[in-house]
Amino acid sequence: MSEPYLRPLPAKSPGTEPFWEAAAEHRLVIPKCQNCGDWNWIPYPGCRTCLSEDQVWTPASGYGTLMTWSIVSRGPPGFPSPYVTALVELDERPRSMVMLGNIVDTPHEDLKVGMRMQVVFEDIADEDISIWRFKAA
Amino acid sequence: MAFPSRKAAVVGVYLTEQGRGLPRTAWSLELEAIKGALDDAGLRPDQVDGLIPMAYVTPLNLHMAWTEQLGGKPITYLDVGSGAGAVAKAAAAIDAGLCKVCVIYFGNANNGNGPGAQKRHDKAPRVDDWDYMVHGAYMSVWYAMWTRAYMHQFNVRQEDLAEYSVIARYHATLNPASIMGKRGEITVDDVMNSRPIADPLHLLECPLDNDGGYAIVVAAEDIARDCKKKPIWVLGGAEATYTDSYRTITSPWISNEGAAVRRVGEMAFGNSGVTHDDIDVAGLYDCFPVTVARDLEELGFCKLGEGADYIKAGHLRLGGKMPSNTDGGLLSHSHNGNPSGMHTIEVVKQLRGECGERQVPDAKIGLTLAQGWAVHGLAGVAIMAAD
Ligand SMILES: [Zn+2]
Repeated sequence: MSEPYLRPLPAKSPGTEPFWEAAAEHRLVIPKCQNCGDWNWIPYPGCRTCLSEDQVWTPASGYGTLMTWSIVSRGPPGFPSPYVTALVELDERPRSMVMLGNIVDTPHEDLKVGMRMQVVFEDIADEDISIWRFKAA
Repeated sequence: MAFPSRKAAVVGVYLTEQGRGLPRTAWSLELEAIKGALDDAGLRPDQVDGLIPMAYVTPLNLHMAWTEQLGGKPITYLDVGSGAGAVAKAAAAIDAGLCKVCVIYFGNANNGNGPGAQKRHDKAPRVDDWDYMVHGAYMSVWYAMWTRAYMHQFNVRQEDLAEYSVIARYHATLNPASIMGKRGEITVDDVMNSRPIADPLHLLECPLDNDGGYAIVVAAEDIARDCKKKPIWVLGGAEATYTDSYRTITSPWISNEGAAVRRVGEMAFGNSGVTHDDIDVAGLYDCFPVTVARDLEELGFCKLGEGADYIKAGHLRLGGKMPSNTDGGLLSHSHNGNPSGMHTIEVVKQLRGECGERQVPDAKIGLTLAQGWAVHGLAGVAIMAAD
């Protein structure tokens, strides 16, 4: 028996279903503006660049570069110690998107600002959701 | 239209006891703070007609409850904000005739920001889809990531940033009300050898996480002149935000143009007519050492990437060029949940000459910066003068 997963999980609020359905298939989709072509992370009702509400969940590359991170020794209840929380700047342009997530399967001593990272998904045991993580590309 | 300089003044300030696990409610701490600050000013609760809670949820419910608690007289100026920005907005509202006596307040009891305050669940709790808590981020983790990005971008040593922790603790030793002052001074080595929290940050680089309340009263010129203590005039100020609350950040994270703090600094120096060299004493938001370095850069006291050098040169220490956070700040005095008004209170006390052993001689003009929420995401500045 593995430990139950007790960290906070997303509520899957109305309108986010396509994101979580794709995540369950280990695919990253992000709203892309049909008016100006910009990507928008996190999802907002309108595009940050042109305010158009015509946005479509679109497959993203899932690659990016490591902006910064922290190896956390003192985490909230449910988090194994230590864990790594990081910011990864995705490759998509022109508006850049910075994604927050945990780094997995990557030795801590290998972490470097600017290193290539890729998005991976973890199926959460006994829960109906898959969460994105990052690992060295 | 110009900012109404010297048309309103801070006339009352009050800090309740600050400490961990106070056997109180937030509501009772707030009431004590509001009554205390009004008493400090020599004003009555029924004179209050403006209210600015340091709160971001259900603010209208708060205003309505307080209207009744303070006697039922209608409150005519309802706002929310960050400490120093609230002082500036209160002054502008008073000049516009929207209110005469505005109270800015906050209280916190048994509701910490840190991981120790979070409940243990027997089932994974569900939160907003894009909430940072899903990824184990909390305040110290955000600022740890910011510290690493800053050190990398500007080739700054962590030991140089840690000098701020040393200065804050020294100031706390001169402040009997501070939580950490009685533990005595610390060195950079002490900081670097303290328990790791969120790498690169150690315990002594992280703020306290305690209970406490405070209140600030801003009043119109005619009322201020008749108050118990000398008025501390509001010369200028501003408030700004530029990104959502810890859900996204922009790239580059630290840019030449700056963001909220840069903007409010430019506005406040502009609308107060004060220059950087005029500032005798400052209260700079200091939830982590890197925050102070960035405060100094964004406010224009030094160039981008030179904040740590400014700290290391001792300019913020009592006796330095611009003594700052003379109460010990958020690292060594008190961090009571939303401490964005704490710096304003200390600067007011300095400008009144009430700081005893830690008094900055002849302090006439003070600057106070509140920020936070998404790492420099929400910022407010107030510039104040003793006469
Ligand atoms: Zn667009």
